[in-house]
Amino acid sequence: MRPFAKALAIGALSAALMAPTGAFAADSSDPIIIPTHNWSSQIVMSHVVGKLFEKMGNSVEYVSTDSQAVYEAVRLGDVHLEVEVWEGAFGVAFNEALKKGGLHDAGDHDAVTREEWWYPAYVEEKCPGLPDWEALNKCAEMFATPETGSKGRFLGGPVDWLKHDAERVEALGMDFKVVNAGSASALWAELDAAKRRNQPIVLFNWTPNFIEAIHEGKFIEFPAYFEGCKDDPSGGPNPNATYDCGNPANGYLKKAAWDGMKDKWPAAYQALLNISFTNAQIAEMAKLVDIDELEPEEAAEAWLEDNEDTWKPWIAHGV
Amino acid sequence: MADAQPVISCRGVWKLYGKTPESYLAGVSDTPSFEDIRRAGYIAAARDVTLDIAAGEMLVIMGLSGSGKSTLVRCLSRLVEVTSGTVTVEEQDIGALDENGLIELRRNKMGMVFQNFALLPNRTVLENVAYPLEMRGQDRHDRRARALDVIKLVGLEGREDYFPRELSGGQQQRVGIARSLAIEPDIWFLDEPFSALDPLIRREMQDEFLRLQDMLGKTIVFITHDFDEALRLADRIAIMKDGAIEQVDTPDRIVLDPATDYVAKFIEDIDKAHVVHAGHLAGPVKGAAPRGDPVAATATIHDIARRLVEDKRARLPVADTSGKLVGVLKRQDALDVLFGEQP
Amino acid sequence: MTDAAIPAPAIATPQRDQRIGQMIVVAAVLLAAAKVALPDGLIRPPDWFVLPFADWINWTFAFLKDDLGLIYLTRAFADGVEWLIDITANLLYGKNRWPRIGPIPWTVIAVTAGVVGYALGGWRLALLSGGTFVWIAVMGQWEWAMETMSVIVVAVPLAVALGLVMGLLAWRYPRFEAVLNPVLNIAQSLPHFAYMIPVVVFIGLGPKAGAIVTIIFATPPMIRMTVLGLKKVPPEVIESGQMCGSTRWQLLRHARVPTARTEILVGVNQVIMQSLAMVVLASFIGMPGLGEKLLQLLQALRMGRSIEIGITIVLLAITLDRCSKAWAYRQPVHFERGTPWWVRNKLLLIWLALIAVAFTLAAFIPEAHEIKRRQAFTLSKQFDAGVDWMLVLLDPITLALRSFLIVWILVPLQNAYQWLPFAAVLTFLAGIGWMIGGARSALVCLAYAGLIAMSGWWDRAMITAYMITFAVIISMMIGLPLGVWASRSEGRAKIALLICDTAQTFPSFIYLIPVVMLFGVNDVAAIGAVIVFGMVPMCRYTIEGLRGVPPELIEAADMSGATRRQKLWTVKLPLALPTIMVGINQTVMFSLFMVIIAAFIGTRDLGQEMQRALSATDVGKGLVLGLCVAFMGLMVDHLAMRWSADRKKALGID
Repeated sequence: MRPFAKALAIGALSAALMAPTGAFAADSSDPIIIPTHNWSSQIVMSHVVGKLFEKMGNSVEYVSTDSQAVYEAVRLGDVHLEVEVWEGAFGVAFNEALKKGGLHDAGDHDAVTREEWWYPAYVEEKCPGLPDWEALNKCAEMFATPETGSKGRFLGGPVDWLKHDAERVEALGMDFKVVNAGSASALWAELDAAKRRNQPIVLFNWTPNFIEAIHEGKFIEFPAYFEGCKDDPSGGPNPNATYDCGNPANGYLKKAAWDGMKDKWPAAYQALLNISFTNAQIAEMAKLVDIDELEPEEAAEAWLEDNEDTWKPWIAHGV
Repeated sequence: MADAQPVISCRGVWKLYGKTPESYLAGVSDTPSFEDIRRAGYIAAARDVTLDIAAGEMLVIMGLSGSGKSTLVRCLSRLVEVTSGTVTVEEQDIGALDENGLIELRRNKMGMVFQNFALLPNRTVLENVAYPLEMRGQDRHDRRARALDVIKLVGLEGREDYFPRELSGGQQQRVGIARSLAIEPDIWFLDEPFSALDPLIRREMQDEFLRLQDMLGKTIVFITHDFDEALRLADRIAIMKDGAIEQVDTPDRIVLDPATDYVAKFIEDIDKAHVVHAGHLAGPVKGAAPRGDPVAATATIHDIARRLVEDKRARLPVADTSGKLVGVLKRQDALDVLFGEQP
Repeated sequence: MTDAAIPAPAIATPQRDQRIGQMIVVAAVLLAAAKVALPDGLIRPPDWFVLPFADWINWTFAFLKDDLGLIYLTRAFADGVEWLIDITANLLYGKNRWPRIGPIPWTVIAVTAGVVGYALGGWRLALLSGGTFVWIAVMGQWEWAMETMSVIVVAVPLAVALGLVMGLLAWRYPRFEAVLNPVLNIAQSLPHFAYMIPVVVFIGLGPKAGAIVTIIFATPPMIRMTVLGLKKVPPEVIESGQMCGSTRWQLLRHARVPTARTEILVGVNQVIMQSLAMVVLASFIGMPGLGEKLLQLLQALRMGRSIEIGITIVLLAITLDRCSKAWAYRQPVHFERGTPWWVRNKLLLIWLALIAVAFTLAAFIPEAHEIKRRQAFTLSKQFDAGVDWMLVLLDPITLALRSFLIVWILVPLQNAYQWLPFAAVLTFLAGIGWMIGGARSALVCLAYAGLIAMSGWWDRAMITAYMITFAVIISMMIGLPLGVWASRSEGRAKIALLICDTAQTFPSFIYLIPVVMLFGVNDVAAIGAVIVFGMVPMCRYTIEGLRGVPPELIEAADMSGATRRQKLWTVKLPLALPTIMVGINQTVMFSLFMVIIAAFIGTRDLGQEMQRALSATDVGKGLVLGLCVAFMGLMVDHLAMRWSADRKKALGID
């Protein structure tokens, strides 16, 4: 189903369901607090969602928070929703909070997410056979740095992203050593510097991400992810190890809501359930800020202006 | 005057610094020396001080730094609690006063001038002088009027709106003096008021101080480490060493008859002729008084030096300010004093 | 009685302490040499030695929060703070909250800042403070800066009030001070992140959390300065107050506090500077404004824009610093009698007139009310080009340097630190302690290091220690000669100190990016970032120490025919050494703070774990890690201050 049609369908359905109560249960006049993090697509998306709520007559506030700690805040009702829950990056924190109670899954976006080892395009010439992982392993020495000795260096994300890269290297018997960057900024800074020097680099990356608009590149193709790869040693190329597979190539991107939101702002909550973005739309939002240098607020307005057909149905029930 | 009830009297005042001075002092039977006390781990600032100060008298407490003079004056005003002994002010044991009683006493009876002026830096001259009145709760108009009066008295007219740091040291001390006089105290404590000033200014301030004292006639306790200053100002001088008083007497008698070696060392280099008065050196009128021009009893030997040299009579009549004959001065004694020989 | 009767005091002489200390150090070396023969329990802290501090802390916090219901109290307090922030937020950037009259046009604020600057410090300060706000407006950062200011103008007075009250209590009740002092020592050496986790738990997120974490961070120096000021009031002033018949309250209100004014205002100055230092870090828990923007821009590698914000933060810091200092050292001046009221209140009238003009302008010209982001001026292209140029220029050098350092110095050094048996390290520290301050210092060192071993983070702590050791050595090698050079003349010293101020207030996160670009994600980059920050106090204290040498001594050296070099080595440096030691101490402190932040580059030390604790909101772990860092700092602080004090006493200065 095309997103538009899907959204329309859900919108119509939910409007029908909500109709009897909708007339009585008006949204609270308290502001809905939306957390923003330190990457642009999330900020723009938060503002798009916020502006939609405002169009419905709600008041909205934004608060900048840590992207891991935010689930605790949603759970306690300090902030009321989260527009980007990445399976790979935040699945663990989200599930933990889910277990403790206080927040719930508010539906998936159409977008799929992928997090994987990644290289910029120019590396392909130096190491033939990419993006295959075995080809990468053959040129491991090319990626060596003083601190990794003769082994290739894989630049991973911060340890708290819990990516199990070291386990994978071990399981697949790769000649690589994992070095963890402390922040996404450090990843991009290294990438930028490597490109200047035309130096081979392989690092952690994900999509949708603004960096796609600046640097071309590809994900490494590892043995495909399968259910049980992380727990059951028997599957995959190495029968004696877990983690002998890549990350899921189509991870979810969800929304999360505070349990109290449904009753306090029923109309806005319904809209949140309806909202769904695609990879292309998310990349577009990031581009507006990171490349076109718009402010997130302005980017959100610009996006809303250009995509009226997309969002109209999401809020149809509330207007 | 001397027979009247003393204004301040202290009896056996001890002040020791250390861990538990009270129990130490209670534990020793006889009078411990400064060294005894030091060896026990205490510092003696006042040792068995007994002293009476009469109304209108100016007592100068003189001693080198560390001799306990500043502590003693603080015991008299109870800025410092005595370890043992009593201090009576106008027949009231100030050690027995509660905090409010003490505040009342200070608000109405006492004024004090400090070595480093101790002015409040954020207040103007006027506000500094009016401060004790403000503490008393006097209304704004009255205290302003009174403060202006005292400021005029100390010669700072026109500087009312200055801040302390805009004044010279001498001027600042005038503010300090004015402040201490604002409540019209009966008792006036001055803790080395002129020590922080230049010698020339110091001299000028001493004159000023004498002028004020002539006018006001207060009971004064004046602390100094400068023996000249003490001689110049005092009715009586108390010389302190290691917390104890070595001698209390009039300047004339201290100069002519030092009680201890310590005091004697002090007066060694003093030009006694400047200190000893004719009236003091004179003996009683026995038999026929010598005739001729009398010398004034209030004149120092130095004042009458020329006459002593020129007048060849062996005995000179001495008269007080009203012209009445009060004694006879032996010329030889006076000349001995003048030339610094032992009489 | 003779002097002989006085028994000679049986105090260990410094020489004896030296010898005992040296013997212990030798024992430590022997322990390390005999590593193979040592039981495992002396090589790594054994399991029974490691105590579950984190669990205990978590349990205590849970008890306080839920069972005692402290969370209701903290949340209520936070709501009060939020109410205040809403008011300033409305006034400064028009947030839709009571009293709904803002935002105040930028021209009005800039003019006000200029007039305040003039009143406090004449034209130069007027230009600086007015200019800062013009820069902010023109660069299109007005709203962000006002978001930051809306929190700071609430946090600073609250921190000042809190500090004043605590300071008064500490001064009044020595027992309270005795409890408070160690708490303050630890609080001032805890890394910032350690504060944030409990704040998230007790307060939540958002501007109020930013304000509260700022208050917690900024209050300790205010308490310290208040106590110092009150203690420094000359006894005579107090006696004079007493002799004027003041009650205790009158004495405090009229004599003590006004006389301690300068110290108290220096405390206010410290509060302001600490608040600005928190602008970026507090955005991790929801402080809006410049810090938040800065992190977003850095995330997108937009160096130029980030530098613009960095400059704004530096300008704000320097303006507020100079203004509050001018206020602290300002002395009252009287007006001549009969000065008419309009002359007395000249500045007030000028200010009223100017803001009237500004309001009028703002009503008619939209640009005088608000400069929109799109209309704003930007230097980001130039900065970007500058950064590019620098990277290209330095790249070949740093690439070579990086390999050399990693292979020949850092890896061996780290391996050595990790190889050392922990028992040998403890013994060694005790020995050093004994050499410097006798048995007491040995015990202090042993206690701090022992607690780190008991925390279970020994290996991580040793990595931190290795990075700090190297960073401090390099900071000294750069900072000391720089300080010596700058101390030659008044002019140089002034410039160098201004650079120090700037480097210190420039948000450290901005350094991280170019450092990574030059050195890559590894310890060289992390240590590089630490050095940039750590050499500042080294340079500053060297300058202050050398310029503080009494001129008579230098004249005496001149008259003895000393050359410049001889003068430096024989007179100036020995006399400045105690002060320089304080600088080294500060360098260690700064480096410890920075090494935690360097976790954002990618390190494997305590900082990395701290980052994990922050994202997992793990109070216990965060505090234990923070305390490990604090204990290292406190140990160095103890030794450095002890040595410096002894040295000063020996030299008869101070």
